[in-house]
Amino acid sequence: MIPREIIKNALNEGRTKLLEHEAFQVIKYYGINSPDVVVVRNGEEAKSLADKIGYPVALKIVSPDISHKSDVGGVKLNLKSPEEVGRAVDEMLKTVKTKAPNARLVGVLMYRMAPQGLEVIVGGVRDGIFGPVVMFGLGGIFVEVLKDVSFRVSPIRMEDALEMLREIKSYKVLEGYRGQPPVNKDAIAEIIVKTSKLLEENPEIESIDLNPVMAYPDSAMAVDARIILKKP
Amino acid sequence: MIDKFFNPSSVAIIGASDKPGKVGKVILENFLKKFNGKIYPVNPNYDVIMGLKCYKSVRELPEPPDLAVIVIPAPSVPEVLEELGAKGTKAVIIISGGFRETNTPQGEMLEEKVKEIAAKYGIRIIGPNCIGIFDNWSGVDTFFLPEEKMKRPPKGYVGFISQSGAFASAIIDWMAYNNIGVSRAVSYGNKVDVDDVDLLKFFMSDEKTKIVLMYLEGLKTSRGKEFIKVARELVKVKPAVIYKAGKTSRGSMAAASHTAALAGDYSLYKSAIKQSGLIEAESFDEIMDIAKVFLTQPLMNGNKVYVVTDAGGVGVMLTDALTSQGFEMPRTPPDLKEELRSILPPHCIVENPIDLTGDTDDERYMKVLERILPRKEVDAVVVVALPQVPGIRGLLADYLIEAKNKYGKPIIAVAIGGEEARKISQKLESGGIPVFESPERAAKALKALYTYSMIKKEV
Repeated sequence: MIPREIIKNALNEGRTKLLEHEAFQVIKYYGINSPDVVVVRNGEEAKSLADKIGYPVALKIVSPDISHKSDVGGVKLNLKSPEEVGRAVDEMLKTVKTKAPNARLVGVLMYRMAPQGLEVIVGGVRDGIFGPVVMFGLGGIFVEVLKDVSFRVSPIRMEDALEMLREIKSYKVLEGYRGQPPVNKDAIAEIIVKTSKLLEENPEIESIDLNPVMAYPDSAMAVDARIILKKP
Repeated sequence: MIDKFFNPSSVAIIGASDKPGKVGKVILENFLKKFNGKIYPVNPNYDVIMGLKCYKSVRELPEPPDLAVIVIPAPSVPEVLEELGAKGTKAVIIISGGFRETNTPQGEMLEEKVKEIAAKYGIRIIGPNCIGIFDNWSGVDTFFLPEEKMKRPPKGYVGFISQSGAFASAIIDWMAYNNIGVSRAVSYGNKVDVDDVDLLKFFMSDEKTKIVLMYLEGLKTSRGKEFIKVARELVKVKPAVIYKAGKTSRGSMAAASHTAALAGDYSLYKSAIKQSGLIEAESFDEIMDIAKVFLTQPLMNGNKVYVVTDAGGVGVMLTDALTSQGFEMPRTPPDLKEELRSILPPHCIVENPIDLTGDTDDERYMKVLERILPRKEVDAVVVVALPQVPGIRGLLADYLIEAKNKYGKPIIAVAIGGEEARKISQKLESGGIPVFESPERAAKALKALYTYSMIKKEV
């Protein structure tokens, strides 16, 4: 499905938050590098797809009614075989049904876990005055505590995005530290540019958080995507 | 269209008065003193006011005035506006308060009515709840602060846009005191119609304005993009300095979103200011310091700065201040070192900062500057002249003023001290060399000049 249809669907169902796999579909459409995700309904289905996904596999419950997935047993990580995956899916569905009996369950999201990289955040928000604006920051304490982030008003060109990277105080972290190699700044900047385009072209989107984006020496990948729609 | 606000051939003052202390009196007096076009006072209680025929109502006016200034209580404003619209007036300044800013349903309703009527007749409005326009070239002056309280600056080239009337009048008074010329100043209050974007556009093509200063609290909803676009056009032509104050209320956001939570107003404004090529001033001092430099100095070609001082300590402070602003202070090359040594007493220091020491005189400065200014590794010079030194007599000031034009490079000065410093400063500043009381302020002001020089190259 193309973003317009995904968004229309969600709004028709009265949802202002896209489900995980929907959010991934939207960012993929804009060429933002992210893991391939599938939604399965039971352990059997999961087992048959696990080899194709690749290991280690991560599982997350998909439900419009659950926001804190791990609280209800809706997250499992590091699964390494088809059997393990199948079992985990069945278990998860059971646990979640017990802990959140009223929640609608769409299925279980399955994807190959991304290797650890430098965690950064790319976010976008529609501002009442400036329209779409995009944020960049390093993950963790850099954003949470130090609020070390930079913004640009869309449209954002590649050179603006690179400037956003240079603008944060913790920029040097991107250049490598304690033996860590530098990350690929162009790859991050590309995600920023694409996020800007995504916001420009979909006025129904109120905000988007790609958190974290794993940055590697040769690439970058959004491993979680959260898209909030405007209340109609 | 906005032009009619600044260059009307006739003006009606609705609510004109001759009662002491009345806003309608001060404004009428302002126009009488400086405005060359026709003035129509409107007030049902007078036949004649300050020697002018006074009209009972707008309907009675012999022609539609180019500009109308309204200074009557808010509840009567819509009616008068309606009459002005019917008459054919297209530019209206509403000084009166009592609208949305009161946060009352009545105030909001009145403002809505004003908007409606303006849209119906195609009237442009500045205000309400503002002090309007001070135009030094046309004599339009609705600043209702009497001259004995707020001096008017000389005719000049600084244009102002200010959301706050108090700030506008304070800065006008300050500029008058410091003899800095102003072209036109606008305080737009509630911004029901004419806003920052319109005014930036106006100032872009205004020949009398060479630099724009702006005090902004917040832009109107959805105006951000247009603001950036117009500002980028403006800065191709002239520098603009902005001071962002306060916060605006925006629609509620998805609080669950990380980005939304971090997108505080100011961080977005800061980015927008950067994207637009405006120069951001972070304090009142900075606004004025930057204005002084922009008004008098040529742009910089690069970021290399030389310091010539008669006080070692101030030289060191300046080195810290300049380098922390990102300036490079190049080492003196061997050939220049040689040259300087041959003309200076052995106790002088020829490294950058060049220290001419406390026994210097005007001539020593002049000899050194004559050799430094033409060098290609020098993009700007900061001269520290501590006036307490006995050899400084005044020749240096004349030389600096000439040298700035001769070499086309920025020259600024730092003078710390009391009365003597003030004397030297006045002489330098009247000749177009800005003087700063602290190394840090000098460095920041120069940084603004450098930043704009680079923006200008880019756009």
